[in-house]
Amino acid sequence: MNIGQSFKMAFKSIFSNKVRSILTMLGIIIGVAAVIIMVSIVEGSNKQIRDYYESMGTNKINVYAYKWNGEDITDELYEYCLSLDELILGVTPNAYYWGRGMRYKTVSTDNMEYGEPQIYMGSDQFSLCNNFEIEYGRDISYLDVKNYNQVVVLGARLKEYLFPYRDPIGEIVTIGEYPFEVIGVYKAKDPNSTWSMDNMAVVPYTMVRLLNKTTRIEEFVVKARSKKDTTEAITRLTGFLSGLIDQNSGYYSVYSQNQWMEQDEKATRMMSLVLGGIAGISLLVGGIGIMNIMLVTVKERTREIGIRKAVGGSRKSIIIQFLIESSVICAIGGILGVTVGYLGTLVAGKLIMDIVLTPSVTMTIGAVAFSVVLGVGFGMYPAIKASGLQPVEALRAE
Amino acid sequence: MKLIELDNVYKIYNEDMENEVRALNGVSLTIDRGEFVAIIGPSGSGKSTLMNIIGCLDTPTYGDYFLDGQLVNEMDDRELSKIRNREVGFIFQSFHLIPALNAYENVELPLIYQGVRADKREEMVFEALEKLGIAERAYHKPTEMSGGQQQRVAIARAIVTRAPIILADEPTGALDSKTGETVLGILRGLHKEGTTVILITHDSRIASAAERIIRISDGVIVQDCPREEAEL
Repeated sequence: MNIGQSFKMAFKSIFSNKVRSILTMLGIIIGVAAVIIMVSIVEGSNKQIRDYYESMGTNKINVYAYKWNGEDITDELYEYCLSLDELILGVTPNAYYWGRGMRYKTVSTDNMEYGEPQIYMGSDQFSLCNNFEIEYGRDISYLDVKNYNQVVVLGARLKEYLFPYRDPIGEIVTIGEYPFEVIGVYKAKDPNSTWSMDNMAVVPYTMVRLLNKTTRIEEFVVKARSKKDTTEAITRLTGFLSGLIDQNSGYYSVYSQNQWMEQDEKATRMMSLVLGGIAGISLLVGGIGIMNIMLVTVKERTREIGIRKAVGGSRKSIIIQFLIESSVICAIGGILGVTVGYLGTLVAGKLIMDIVLTPSVTMTIGAVAFSVVLGVGFGMYPAIKASGLQPVEALRAE
Repeated sequence: MKLIELDNVYKIYNEDMENEVRALNGVSLTIDRGEFVAIIGPSGSGKSTLMNIIGCLDTPTYGDYFLDGQLVNEMDDRELSKIRNREVGFIFQSFHLIPALNAYENVELPLIYQGVRADKREEMVFEALEKLGIAERAYHKPTEMSGGQQQRVAIARAIVTRAPIILADEPTGALDSKTGETVLGILRGLHKEGTTVILITHDSRIASAAERIIRISDGVIVQDCPREEAEL
């Protein structure tokens, strides 16, 4: 008997035993789809958290220090931060304007729906440290800082509010009672949240004298080169500040977003385990379903194999037929399972996270492989067992 | 001309254990080509075991079995399946049709294993079905047929390969007497065409259709003679 005949016979058997074939496929479909959807959701939410922290800037260290007696340590701290050259990509002072809001002609930010914009004072490295990018215009330059230029770069949300549908470059806005020329606009990086990171503006940090009437800057942001360098920079900065300030003379803190990120990742890892467990159980249940339906038919199939042997089927041809039969059922089930899984993932991604979620290829292959091994294994089981029997014993199975 | 030769054949289950069963206890037997033989005995006498060994559905524990001069005991699965496929046609008491396949497909099965081309197969299947008068039921599944129809499909399957030996194990056991008579008529017809027919039964009236009676009891042959001399 040739292979073509084996295929024909296998397909005949699949279509003649529709219920059995469909139930087997169903087990595979449910198992595969469940795993794909569950794991994709976990991976999606992990990625979302990572993206959020990345948009704020990874490896970013906030350094905060002041003395009770009002002694100005700004320059020492800034210089020390700059001296960490081999560990860092950039440093910026990170002062906040103590006053309120901004105005363009008659439009004031006082009435902004979700609160007023945050106005920062930074250096030419502010955007690097805080992960902002220029959309158009230009960024604050070293000369702007050095020459006390009254210039401002707007965040995307603030630009939309003050200059809807028009070019703000060259326009003059007022902060406090001082005029500032708009030189650039940052790209939106947090367009969907209410309290957007884009509702902000930056002026050169040397404006601190003008706006806050002081030369003291209490906060700096340091951008380290890597995760490892972040840890090292934190250690050194803490060491430096503990030498400069003690508990009685002031307060300081050095912290990194990395720590928060790690904590959040730990939380999602828990969720991964839980959902992964559920997915594993679905796969197992699907697998047990496959086993059940296959084992229920073993007796019937054993008799069938006895008949086939009695009319001249050799062990080999019977095993080949069953192998093809199980493989075809599992392949169809696997393909349908992956299809359902991908569609489910897309729908779940849209509903739960409002993003386009695509399952990982490794996991898809893993889930399909598991179900197919089970399906083919249990599909072959009666053939391997019964075809080795004397035909008369196989016929006797009732 | 010797077609089937059994030389001191034993079939022992659970040998050397307390529940040892000797289904065949030293059977020697010769059947020539073209004979019509009935093997008769009460249930448990070993007659079905004998048929299974003759049909290569089972192997003897001891003793030699020659089919057409070839020693069957030493054959492997491939050779045995070839013999079952080409040399022997089986008719069982419970028909043993594959329930998922229709009559046509059931009859076609041995031809597929033989590797017969599709167009030739169709011709042969319908020839067999027509001979048994059930060609119009060709596309019905076994569950949609009466017992007599099912047995005729099974007989069609047995004769479709034109095997030289037909083995019928209680072929009328599950049928009413009228249908049973038809089946016996078919067997007689096959014999007339030159086929060697071996009929296994516990019923002496049915056995009387054969020309030679072999009576078996407790695994040994107790009588082997032409029908005319047998005490039926």
